[in-house]
Amino acid sequence: MKRREFLKATPCLALFGPRALPEICRDLDALEIPPQLSKVEARYYQKLPDKEIECQLCPRQCRLGNKERGYCGVRENSEGTYYTLVYGKACSVHVDPIEKKPFFHFYPGQITLSLATAGCNVNCKFCQNWEISQVRPEQVHHFDFPPRMVVDTAKKYDCPIIAYTYTEPVVFYEYMVDTAKLGRRAGLKSVVVTGGHINPEPLEELISVVEAIKVDLKSFTQDFYDQYVRGKLQPVLEAIKKIAASPIWLEIVYLVIPTLNDSVKEIKNLSRWIKAEVGPDVPLHFSRFHPMYLLRNLPPTPISTLERAHQIAREEGLNYVYIGNVPGHQAESTYCPRCGTLLIKRWGFEVSKINLKDGKCPQCQTPIPGIWD
Amino acid sequence: MAKVIVAHGEILSKNGDINIARLKNIVIKSLRSLFDNLALKEVLLQIFPRPGKVGVKINTIAGKKLSTRPEVALTLSQILAENHPGLSRIIIWDRTNRELKKAGYRLQQRGKIQVFGTDTKGVGYESKLTMTTNIGSLFSHIQSKFIHHSLSLAILKDHGLAGVTAGLKNYFGAIHNPNKYHDQNCDPFVAELCTTPPIKAKHRLTIIDALLVQFHRGPSYHPRWASRENKLIFSLDPVAADHVGWQIIDQLRRRAGLPSLAEENRPPRYLHTAEALGLGHTSTNMEILEVEG
Repeated sequence: MKRREFLKATPCLALFGPRALPEICRDLDALEIPPQLSKVEARYYQKLPDKEIECQLCPRQCRLGNKERGYCGVRENSEGTYYTLVYGKACSVHVDPIEKKPFFHFYPGQITLSLATAGCNVNCKFCQNWEISQVRPEQVHHFDFPPRMVVDTAKKYDCPIIAYTYTEPVVFYEYMVDTAKLGRRAGLKSVVVTGGHINPEPLEELISVVEAIKVDLKSFTQDFYDQYVRGKLQPVLEAIKKIAASPIWLEIVYLVIPTLNDSVKEIKNLSRWIKAEVGPDVPLHFSRFHPMYLLRNLPPTPISTLERAHQIAREEGLNYVYIGNVPGHQAESTYCPRCGTLLIKRWGFEVSKINLKDGKCPQCQTPIPGIWD
Repeated sequence: MAKVIVAHGEILSKNGDINIARLKNIVIKSLRSLFDNLALKEVLLQIFPRPGKVGVKINTIAGKKLSTRPEVALTLSQILAENHPGLSRIIIWDRTNRELKKAGYRLQQRGKIQVFGTDTKGVGYESKLTMTTNIGSLFSHIQSKFIHHSLSLAILKDHGLAGVTAGLKNYFGAIHNPNKYHDQNCDPFVAELCTTPPIKAKHRLTIIDALLVQFHRGPSYHPRWASRENKLIFSLDPVAADHVGWQIIDQLRRRAGLPSLAEENRPPRYLHTAEALGLGHTSTNMEILEVEG
């Protein structure tokens, strides 16, 4: 899928009207160059004898000979030095509401300059963006968009936040980290939308340069991760705990797929684990699945299934549980867990009302966790 | 019963030159041996019974030292072009023009014998996924649309994950996402890929370039563990051809005092999966003929 098709296919055009995005497109068209890949040395890898390397960025720890690429398809060993091929090579750039990521407790109503490069370190059978995540960088239309230009573009279009999203930002780690550092110096926040498949050391550095991370927890069983994700659950859980213990903001999304990860037992286990290991105040989003990519034989998630998951999580003691991909559902909005007052009213990705006073419920003064101003 | 021809002759010299005349002689002799010494034209009619275009899928990922040699691909293509009037075009191809050029090929998009990569303008990949049991892939238009018959002209190498890379795994270069097929020692992914219609319905012949064999630390080139074997393997059975390639690699490893692939826990298990999926035969039901040239 070409960038312009991708832009057209996403709903944010409708939200922001016809002016802003086409203008960005024109600007980016001017930047387009032949699809040269970057050759920036990667971080977090170990050199081995005979020009081999071991990537230490994610739990796969790909061991690669000369000329080989990792599972992600965007990092390559060349003569014993490991390179990222996608540094500054964005394949998708968009202005999105922060609610689309989704972040519900982080600057609600703000817009983000959202970007991605090709590649991913897992292969979810239900991926919504497989045309860019499951390809090599040379197979997708991309353009030169170095960190300085990302920051300048975000400022130009009044985006206070840069979001690394759509594919798997872990695979374009160096580009993300350098852009986030530059953005911070320019007064911009950075948020990451990730599957959480990252090793502790690089995660620690990432935490130090961004303001929020949303983790897509795909399931609460290793069996599902084996069959539908081709990744490991435990490192994701470890990543979630590490983010939760850090000063930055965390939200969790759980895509509920009919018959595959929607059992009462699994949702209970998930909710209990989150409460025990992360705390009851982390926002948990149950998102609706739509048939996509390699999982086209299942129907969209019934609303009743999402409502059941929502109810279980609330009963297990989680305070901020949401239903996603169901525009207009009341569980898109934020309520005070103590008195039930409507605090943030949402419809789809749109925020129509923010009823917080100094980060507290105006009725009962309960502090509502989040980054609000 | 699967028949595998292992041809041997002084084709690749110590200084890296190819003896074209000897190569041509050995290729013809081997092709005829596949069919009990039938005349060459008859042999080609057996392999390609219907007219059409032939894709010669080569492996050029490892650069000039360890890719399917241009001399081998071009000599073979010439033999096909000259001896089968029904073959209207022979396309020697791989993923990218850059890799083809680095391996010593001259790009050519005109004439009966053509050489180009999937990344050539106007070629590219399918937009619809072809599903295997586990993964979905976009096929190169060359494999899915441009050709009627497919020939895997692979190079024989040790592979750190798969154990062996040869004829079957060569088809990883026909899809857009081979990096997603390397889990679990590429098993069952190599075999499953080769059961998809664009490959299974078109594959006619496997030829493995084992002139120089990387028997350890593959798939990249390490001269210390590369042996000039001067062999070419031919078979209509893609599993049998790869099985023989595996045996050659293990022999070379033994000779060098290295553990076998099985001892290193990376035998090419995908060959057994391929056999189970009906793609061909492994050690049983196999006749191996040696051809000298």
